[in-house]
Amino acid sequence: MAIVAFDIKDFKKTGLEQPRIEDALLKMGVEIEEKDDNEVKLNITPNRPDLLDFNGICRAVLNFTGMRTPQENFYRIKKSSEPVLTIQVSQEMRKIRPYIAGIVVRNVDLSGNVLKYLINFTEKFADTYGRKRKKLAIGVHDLSKIKGNLTYTAVEEDSFVPLNETKKMKLSEIMESHDKGIAYSSTISKKNGQRFPILKDSEKILAFIPITNSEATKVTEKSTSLFIDITGTSINTINEAAALIACSFIDMGAEIGQVAIDYDGNADLTPTLDYDEMKLQLGSAKKTLGVDISEASVVGLANKMGYVAAQYGKSVLFYIPPYRVDVLNNQDIIEDMAIAYGYDKIVPLPVVGSADGLAQELMEYQNSVAEYMLGLGYTEAINTLLTNEKDEFDNMEFHDYDRKSYISIAEAKTSMLTMIRKYIMPGLLGSLRNSAGETMPQRMFEIGSVFSLKNGAALEAISIGFVSEHSKANFSEIKGSVEALLGFLGMKGYSIVGHDDPSFIEGRSAEIRKGDSVIGVFGELHPKVLENFGLEEPVIAAEIKLVGKVEY
Amino acid sequence: MHEYEIRILSFLKGKKEVSFDDLQETGLGRDPLLWTIENLSGSGAVSVKKEQYVKAELSNEGEKYLGGFPEETLLNEIAGGKEILVSKAEKIGLMWAKKNGWVQISGEKLIITDEGRKIASGKQKYKLTEVLSALRSMKGGKLLDFIQKNKESVDMLIKRNLVETAIKSSIVSVSATEKGVRLLSESKPDKGVGQITKEIIARHTWEASGFRKYDISAPAETQYPARTHLLREFVNLVRLKWLEMGFVEVSGPIVESAFWNFDALFSPQDHPTREMQDTFFLSNPKQMTIEDVEVMDRVKKMHKNGWKEKWSEALASNAILRTHTTSVSARYMHKLSKAIDANYPLKLFSVGSVFRNENVDYKHLAELHMYDGIIVGDGLTFANLIDTLRRFYAKLGLDNIKFRPSYFPFTEPSLEAYYYDEEHHDSIELTGGGIIRKEITKAMGIDKTVLAWGGGIDRLLLNSKIFGMDSILTLYKNNIDWLRTRKSIRV
Repeated sequence: MAIVAFDIKDFKKTGLEQPRIEDALLKMGVEIEEKDDNEVKLNITPNRPDLLDFNGICRAVLNFTGMRTPQENFYRIKKSSEPVLTIQVSQEMRKIRPYIAGIVVRNVDLSGNVLKYLINFTEKFADTYGRKRKKLAIGVHDLSKIKGNLTYTAVEEDSFVPLNETKKMKLSEIMESHDKGIAYSSTISKKNGQRFPILKDSEKILAFIPITNSEATKVTEKSTSLFIDITGTSINTINEAAALIACSFIDMGAEIGQVAIDYDGNADLTPTLDYDEMKLQLGSAKKTLGVDISEASVVGLANKMGYVAAQYGKSVLFYIPPYRVDVLNNQDIIEDMAIAYGYDKIVPLPVVGSADGLAQELMEYQNSVAEYMLGLGYTEAINTLLTNEKDEFDNMEFHDYDRKSYISIAEAKTSMLTMIRKYIMPGLLGSLRNSAGETMPQRMFEIGSVFSLKNGAALEAISIGFVSEHSKANFSEIKGSVEALLGFLGMKGYSIVGHDDPSFIEGRSAEIRKGDSVIGVFGELHPKVLENFGLEEPVIAAEIKLVGKVEY
Repeated sequence: MHEYEIRILSFLKGKKEVSFDDLQETGLGRDPLLWTIENLSGSGAVSVKKEQYVKAELSNEGEKYLGGFPEETLLNEIAGGKEILVSKAEKIGLMWAKKNGWVQISGEKLIITDEGRKIASGKQKYKLTEVLSALRSMKGGKLLDFIQKNKESVDMLIKRNLVETAIKSSIVSVSATEKGVRLLSESKPDKGVGQITKEIIARHTWEASGFRKYDISAPAETQYPARTHLLREFVNLVRLKWLEMGFVEVSGPIVESAFWNFDALFSPQDHPTREMQDTFFLSNPKQMTIEDVEVMDRVKKMHKNGWKEKWSEALASNAILRTHTTSVSARYMHKLSKAIDANYPLKLFSVGSVFRNENVDYKHLAELHMYDGIIVGDGLTFANLIDTLRRFYAKLGLDNIKFRPSYFPFTEPSLEAYYYDEEHHDSIELTGGGIIRKEITKAMGIDKTVLAWGGGIDRLLLNSKIFGMDSILTLYKNNIDWLRTRKSIRV
């Protein structure tokens, strides 16, 4: 999701009242994230980069409200002249960042918020759809400051004045210390010796691609003609992006000129504005939506969503406008028909066919163990599965733990989250700490998943832990509770054996053995553990495995 | 004299100082004891020794800041190379980063200072973070010392509403005064039967002596029955509603491969949510095996045709913590392709934990709970999906939910169900859903229509119509007083 902000007063040019615009946005699925008297912030879904653009939003709203018709606003390039510019692409770019498209824009008015919106739009576009400029990056230049034809190539080193800077910087220096260089350095492959992609005219560097433009071709509100470069790793993506951007300028009343891209002698022209054709049977729309879209209404609905359409009986031809880069197949068109029809007008239809509901046994088993624990006087706690080694092991006085015995996280935004829990008990002791000062005795239990690693694979089990804190808590109490629970669980043939465990007081803890395996431990916690958790009264604790391995 | 007073004075008589704990041997509970001691001390019959102690409690905001102060987050972003404009910077973080001298403003940009660099590089720790986490774990005398030594930082934390400190007192011991002993000897207990015993009942003693009248205004001991956790209560309610609607409950692994979480659901491999910041990737285990090679091949084809990009098996094998329970739905679509016999339409749901690697605040946690559902069959429509969701939320008390278009890589058409909260003028997202893309059902190996949806559990508890919880953090704090006394969902 991307958030874009626009001044409310700029919407006046649509000629629509504010409530009508907001209603259209809601119905189209454009969420208003925030709004005050001056500004509105919109949340744009990643499939619709055309709506990151102010002109794109206006176009969509006007189509949707019927104030504009797509057929009268057919996007085309006036074939008046030869390509205005040529970009020579050097062969070695194939391995670095192969594709480039160019757009020439004339007679554009960038006053007011227009320039700001243009910069925000191209940056957001490259950031989201362009995957942080890896797949797609866009540079905007003042055409009047460009001399001669362009070359897209790579160099080992060079220097120029980056945008909004005053001093010349070396390319390697930009990579290391310029904030854009640091932010986007990962887009440049370091394989086979680093070479930096640049775009230059007959005299100077225009841009270090995809890092920063040059100060020399800086665009201001007074600029009236522009050159736009679009670079990336997929020719489809950059050509679609060029078409999308060109449509935005056409909406602004500017003129678009094509640029010839010379790959090794084969010249491509960009941008091209093509309307792809798709055929839809009305029957298939009904089959998907459960809604009858009439022959009479379908062209109108298509127009609301910006399509040019023609209906022949039960089938409809859709012409997909060049700015819609998200329409892959019929499913996407059917969704647009539903949006145009109105989600709120779709009549709910019950699913036909009866079925028996069925609860999962494992869930019901946990419910009944929980109910039994309430009877023993234990209140239920639920802790998060995410934790860290200090809480999980060190605080339990278990310092010599095996790092290959539990599931660890590669990198977390919150430094306290480094693993998922192996035991229930540490979380419960944290819950007791969070209950300091509340009425004693405090008895809590938790049932849930615990995780370990076995032969390098994740193993999920279900355990129960319970703790009791009060001035008279002792081994006998916990032993009684453990035996009661084991009886309830129908556990037979187990033995209770003394054991060494640094979490407990020596001689006051035991493990529950069944056959060769240890299925639980309990006892009086060591005062060192209590101190680690900030607990003031004696605590007894138990942990028992309920399900050794959860199978899916 | 009140019966409780006589009981306590008799117990104290002849003893020196008696601790509060030992006084419980009188058989009086905590609340009646406190009430009686207060009365006796008022009339000079006992002298009470009290101890003062400090209590520090973190606010919800304070708990959140344990994971990093906003000024630290801002500083780390700038140090990490992100360009942040003054007007776009998070306001609280900016204010404190400036006050601390970590950043300077140059035009519209924020520039990190030498002081800021020390903190960002970890060479110097942020004092407030250290003090805050110490306040959380310290108790008693240690805490008092600590607060005195770090007065400036503690005052700052209090000013920022992150911590509250309070001086409390507790009773150490109680002893009877001379006056108390005298009052006891002068007191004539009311006549009649007090506590009824087995003997009194058998011998009809009460017929001759009658019953003594009790002071029914004296406090009774507060009772704390054990309770289930709110989350279990609510998850069970959600499960019940799906079960009532004829759904079969299923589940799937929490430690999951990127394949089932993302690739099988047509999420492109270079999609931002797959990157570190939103997904917990695991370092151990690092990779997981995708057993079914055929389904993997079909998914590979789906990605190549759909996204026109390379598809890497290694990326799909990355081990992660699932980011949604939709992974369970993907696994079941695949399971159904192997089913010899199934009754369609088949309705499945699952509930479980999901994980997002993001900064926590009162609305967002790194770990939350979700439910997911699918209906698999022939001739299913978008109108069926809308009907199913309407029924479910109506059962939870949310009538008249609304739908708007949305986007997910795995559904087309897609929708979002939301509830407009009239009271707070806030629209609350309930669930995202849609019809699973044909590309996906084909790759999973089923020739059916699949309606699918998924929604958050935890955040529903914030909704006043359902529970009205003030912060999601309360849910996992497990303060026993809250666990014992919270209101019920159903009562």
